[in-house]
Amino acid sequence: MSNNRDFAMSRRSLLAGLAGVGGLAALTACGSPGSGPASPARSGGKQAVITHWDKWASQEPWVKKEIGLFQEANPGVTIQRTMQASGNLENLLDLAARGGDMPDVFMVAQDRLDEHIAQGRVLDLSKYATLEWQKTFPAHSFVEGVNAAGGKIYSAPFEGYATDVQLYLNNQVFKDAGLVEADGTVKIPKNWNDVTLFAEQITKKGNGSVHGLGFGNSAFPIIPWWVNFFVNGSGTPATLPSSTPGGLDPRTGKFTLRTESPYLDFLALFLEWRDKGYIFPQSLSIDDEISRQHFARGKFGMIVGGVWNQPGWTDLGFTDYTTVTMVPQDGRRKSFFYRGAGSVHLAVSATTKHPDEAWEWFKWWYGQQAGTRFVQELKGGVSIHPEANDPSKIDFAPFAQFVAGAELVLPGPQPSLRNPATIHVVPKPVTPSFEDICTGLYTGQIKDMRAALTKLNEDLEKEFVKALDKAVQEGHKVSRDDYVFADWDLGKPYKWDIPEYLGA
Amino acid sequence: MPTTQLDRAHPAGPAAEPPRRPSVWRRVRANGWSYAYLLPFAVLTGAFTVYPILASLGYTLYDWDGIGEPTDFVGLANFQEVVADGYFWNSLANAALYTVVLVPVQLVLALAMALVLNNPKLRGSTFYRAIYFLPAVTSIAIVGIVLKLMLANFGDALSAPLAGLGLIDQPLQFLGDPDTVLWTVIAIGIWNTLGYNLIYFLAGLQTIPKDLYEAAQLDGAGRFARFVHVTVPGLRNVGVVIVFLAIIGSLQVFDLVMVLTGGGPFFASDVVNTYVYRQAFGQVGTGVVTEPDIGLASAASFFFGLLLLVLTAGQMLAIKKLRARKERT
Repeated sequence: MSNNRDFAMSRRSLLAGLAGVGGLAALTACGSPGSGPASPARSGGKQAVITHWDKWASQEPWVKKEIGLFQEANPGVTIQRTMQASGNLENLLDLAARGGDMPDVFMVAQDRLDEHIAQGRVLDLSKYATLEWQKTFPAHSFVEGVNAAGGKIYSAPFEGYATDVQLYLNNQVFKDAGLVEADGTVKIPKNWNDVTLFAEQITKKGNGSVHGLGFGNSAFPIIPWWVNFFVNGSGTPATLPSSTPGGLDPRTGKFTLRTESPYLDFLALFLEWRDKGYIFPQSLSIDDEISRQHFARGKFGMIVGGVWNQPGWTDLGFTDYTTVTMVPQDGRRKSFFYRGAGSVHLAVSATTKHPDEAWEWFKWWYGQQAGTRFVQELKGGVSIHPEANDPSKIDFAPFAQFVAGAELVLPGPQPSLRNPATIHVVPKPVTPSFEDICTGLYTGQIKDMRAALTKLNEDLEKEFVKALDKAVQEGHKVSRDDYVFADWDLGKPYKWDIPEYLGA
Repeated sequence: MPTTQLDRAHPAGPAAEPPRRPSVWRRVRANGWSYAYLLPFAVLTGAFTVYPILASLGYTLYDWDGIGEPTDFVGLANFQEVVADGYFWNSLANAALYTVVLVPVQLVLALAMALVLNNPKLRGSTFYRAIYFLPAVTSIAIVGIVLKLMLANFGDALSAPLAGLGLIDQPLQFLGDPDTVLWTVIAIGIWNTLGYNLIYFLAGLQTIPKDLYEAAQLDGAGRFARFVHVTVPGLRNVGVVIVFLAIIGSLQVFDLVMVLTGGGPFFASDVVNTYVYRQAFGQVGTGVVTEPDIGLASAASFFFGLLLLVLTAGQMLAIKKLRARKERT
């Protein structure tokens, strides 16, 4: 009994303890970023604090610089930036929306904008995005069903159009293997056969320590990047506008793309490279980050990757490489990379308390000067503003080669331009996907390439039909015809039947 | 005798009322601080474990990509899809293999090392304990990245002795070959979490009274006999807990697989939690847009949870029966 008495609590003290815990929890819950350092706007009434979320890690120097310049130019506005580098920005935005704490300005995914619009989470920018402002962008930058809905503008394109992946050559490895032109520059592969011959020569000269080709597939599938790079230009449309379901051939509206001969031929060649030992043996064990470092250290001579590789290599002090933007099968360019019209990047929250200041920041981010700094200083990619993309003003040859490759990207047919309702047709992913199959072929887990890809076509078709039916049941007027562009000439820019600017 | 016993139990006089069970409030008040200490854990568990479980139960019935409110009710279709999905069963088989191999090997190693480290004559035993426990407290992300780098850079050196013995003709791709990847992950898993079980066993060994060993020695028991007749029975209770935790923890392996292989190549090391993650969040970082399927992920997670529940209940039942049988004999 005495023990019990020692440890007994009065009802009052227990309730007081509970209230304390509850109060602490409530304080913790109320401690949102908005009530912390972001308070001057609310307390002072002069300084507006704009919360900004993005997921740009390697572009951070540019973002920080732009924030600094903007705040200098707009002393009444503070940008409070949060970099959500987890890769799940959309989930975090969803949680923020549920908690009523959306950032004022945020990066939005192409395939999610329509849902944010439907949920009333994004601000209609039409009041600000005047025709005059729109015309600072190239024609077809603001498009119904892409970054506008019901005639209202919600976002804008930031990056321009460039080849999504490139082939990189390690100049030193090429020189060591004797792959040099008479003028001392390294030999550039013009067709698939060149790549095979170069890889063979590098591997032979490397005596087991240097290989012709390499990649890092362990974190996520990289082999499809190789397929994509080599198939583009070889007579089949590989890179297509975003609203085209993967594997669908817009010329017929059927899922036959992945069994067309450039795909089958390249995959067969890739397996041949593996069998002949031209590919770095640990390519499936390492990830892309590590493979880039191996490439920089000269463990292999060629790698496929995006322009995002370049800043990392510069940090490593590795700049002696060449960028190749297209290698068609037989050297003759029969097709291009294809892009759609418009795209999304930033959006403004519908619940922002400072819409005018948020717009000012939005406009700054999208401005031509910011775009020029993005291209020429950061070398982060290609800007939507063509004036910012002059290769002659870029002081680093491999990046200038990448920017010059933008001419290989042509307007392509885009179902959502013909019928904006097609954005409601969302086929579910299939397993195994094309990406999975590429890995399975490389490891030997899949033996019959044609059978696997044919089955993939069938699975994609099945999911597409399901998605189409579902959209129709939901009342959207969509059909397979929206996806058929029988008159498309792969060698010419596709002419879109849409206004050049909204409200013009 | 029976009468006496009865009298003792029920003394003469008016029939005594059975003792009243104290009310819930009285019991809470009597042990107030104990409940107060438990409260933060209960609140956190409720908020971050119980609530999400209950909330995601609703999602299993919807086709939902995680944005906005779920509206597309599909009934039990998500569960049907999971049950019919060969890749789910493949991931379950991999998780089962991981468990079946890792648990016994790790427990035998942990027990052996605990016996050595429990020797009072061993010099520097604290240092060794810290060293063996170090991998367990190191971030899995760091472990994964470092080991990936090591295997990438020194994989050929590791393969060389095997090639010298004529066991292999090509350098092993530890994480890239579907035949070796799961075994590599298992080996790393054994090393990585060995420290926990080592500490549990050490704690268990230290609860066994030394008198028992001395008595057994006086009775002429040798080292092996003392191990079998004193150590093993003394570790039985803690051993059951260790086995339970090891099995459940191994079946739920996620972070190690995610960091090392992401479940690849071509699902060769896919386990249930990487399967669920892929359904819920797509293939993060690929640039390939895949629609998240929170409904399907929730259904897979629930179905797996049910399987674990059945397994755990079966284990508990089997142990109970074994104990009952032992007590009868």
